[in-house]
Amino acid sequence: MKEQSKIPTSKVQRAAKFVKTGAKVGGNYVKHYAKKAVNPKLTKEGLHNDNARDIYNSLSELKGSALKVAQMMSMDKNMLPTAYQDKFSMAQYSAPPLSYPLVVKTFQQYFKESPSAIYDVFTKNAVNAASIGQVHKARKGDKQLAVKIQYPGVASSVRSDLKLVRPFAVRLMNLNEKDLDHYMEEVETKLLEETDYELEVRRSVEISEACAHIPNLRFPKYYPEMSSPRVITMDWMNGKVLKEFIKTNPSQEDRNKVGQAMWDFYDYQIHSLRQVHADPHPGNFIINDQAELGVIDFGCVKEIPDEFYDPYFRLIRKDMLTADDTLIETFKQLQFIYDDDTESDKVYFAGVIKEMMGLLGKPFHQNEFDFGDDNYFRKIFELGEVISESKKFRESERARGSRDGLYINRTYFGLYNILNELKAQVITTKPEWAAKVAV
Amino acid sequence: MAKAKTQVSPEEKIKKAYVEHVLEHGTRPASIFKFVKELKIKEEVFYESFNSFENIDKQIWLDLFQETINRLHTDEVFEEYSVREKLLAFFYTWIEVLKSQRSFILETTPKAQKPDLKPANLTYVRDAFKEFINDLMLEAKETEEVKTRPYISDRYEDAIWVQFLFLINFWIKDDSRGFEKTDAAIEKSVNLAFDLMGRGPLDTMVDFGKFLFQNR
Repeated sequence: MKEQSKIPTSKVQRAAKFVKTGAKVGGNYVKHYAKKAVNPKLTKEGLHNDNARDIYNSLSELKGSALKVAQMMSMDKNMLPTAYQDKFSMAQYSAPPLSYPLVVKTFQQYFKESPSAIYDVFTKNAVNAASIGQVHKARKGDKQLAVKIQYPGVASSVRSDLKLVRPFAVRLMNLNEKDLDHYMEEVETKLLEETDYELEVRRSVEISEACAHIPNLRFPKYYPEMSSPRVITMDWMNGKVLKEFIKTNPSQEDRNKVGQAMWDFYDYQIHSLRQVHADPHPGNFIINDQAELGVIDFGCVKEIPDEFYDPYFRLIRKDMLTADDTLIETFKQLQFIYDDDTESDKVYFAGVIKEMMGLLGKPFHQNEFDFGDDNYFRKIFELGEVISESKKFRESERARGSRDGLYINRTYFGLYNILNELKAQVITTKPEWAAKVAV
Repeated sequence: MAKAKTQVSPEEKIKKAYVEHVLEHGTRPASIFKFVKELKIKEEVFYESFNSFENIDKQIWLDLFQETINRLHTDEVFEEYSVREKLLAFFYTWIEVLKSQRSFILETTPKAQKPDLKPANLTYVRDAFKEFINDLMLEAKETEEVKTRPYISDRYEDAIWVQFLFLINFWIKDDSRGFEKTDAAIEKSVNLAFDLMGRGPLDTMVDFGKFLFQNR
């Protein structure tokens, strides 16, 4: 009974506020703080678990963009406690398949022919489900093909779906409303782009041709004549998805080979093409028996504008982070800090972001980097935790960080995560101007 | 040319002229007398085929339905489908066929305040549709896609008829591009219908309840 008198009122108020919003999540907080009142040693892990379950349950009933957002959030390990992340990784497997008649209808609509007329063999059942479509296996002549078909009405539901996830996103990612508007627009345009399969084919062809010279990297061939706004035909890629590949316990040599191909692929895209496959989701990579990396799904491609590229990547130079005067200027360009911030705010935000960029830039500061180093990743997550718990960040009336950064950060987090799972040692090639000052 | 003209039956000619009139004027012709006069046929000829404009409406709907069934049977995979897939294919084709007459349908469908389970213009279609569903249900019971339940299973046809009306209304109000939302509505509602009609937890519950009742 003694402990009960210790409940800080602010926490009860916070819990009560959540209940008021009507979300189940609130219930979990009440439960958590009630438990905590009895057992002060209780960690937040249980709470996160409960929240993840409830949020996942509501999201999994939705298809399309809500699912996509769930997936996206699940990727940013630094933003999301592990419990959410595990739940959300499931999200990609839960969409119910399209019936075969609807598949036929989609083909009729765009090609005036049924799939059996276009391909020699076409599987009636989907072999794979993606968040906004499903994949069928087909054969034409001696070619094995993968045919991706989009669910009807996905494009038109993007906006309403995003409205639906909004309250969850606020709670989940600990973002304030201002931040959310800032980013939601960017997410919306990207999601809408993702529903445009014709655009995807164009970009796939473009990027895969531009990256053809990179060793140990494979791309499927795309067939624009057998693609439409809601259908994509491409070569079937043989091999294992990343998770399965890792399960087979490959040799360090193979791990490095795959990791190196991955690094080179992203390095070339970001610094030379200035547009990047912004969905480094483990399911988008297929590795064959020769440990060559196959890349599929160019739904989400982020073009990097110069006014973002220059200041952002200036920060990966090690000498940059010690030059304080120009650093502040760069932070301003990236909208991390603003001219009319108070002096103390400026110092605080600059400090945290400097630390963050220093950490993220670390692989660039060396010639070779061991991504298997869990210590490094723990540091990143810890710093991420600090930021998401930080009162200053949450109560900041302005979004911190430019919206272009959203997908670039996501790309790097995704890339680092994959390389970490691979435990790969990678020669971190980088643009020349950055290499000069490195080491 | 002359030969081709004789091949068009007066019935077809009347239907065509009627649809055109509705589309152009936004209403039905004022009277049969006026209509046949414009068409330059005798009134008797009209009555040989139809006895009212409502009658033509009904016939046009029935034609659309027949067209749907014909199209379904020209697709060789149709026979291999499960019943669930057959019904899905039916609805997709049906909506596809309706598109050819969308303006006419929008014009002539009464804006009903309350849902009407037996719309007058669909009387012919209703009979044909029920026959079609009846066959499907028999097949479904054989393949056990649908479970026979006392009392309830006799009403399945009516339930699917309600679904049929719902989908037409949904399509009429649908403003999405390419009627994609109607596709989604078909997919979801047919799946729901078959999940309900098939063997489910409810049957197991009833079974268990019966067991308890008999054995306590």
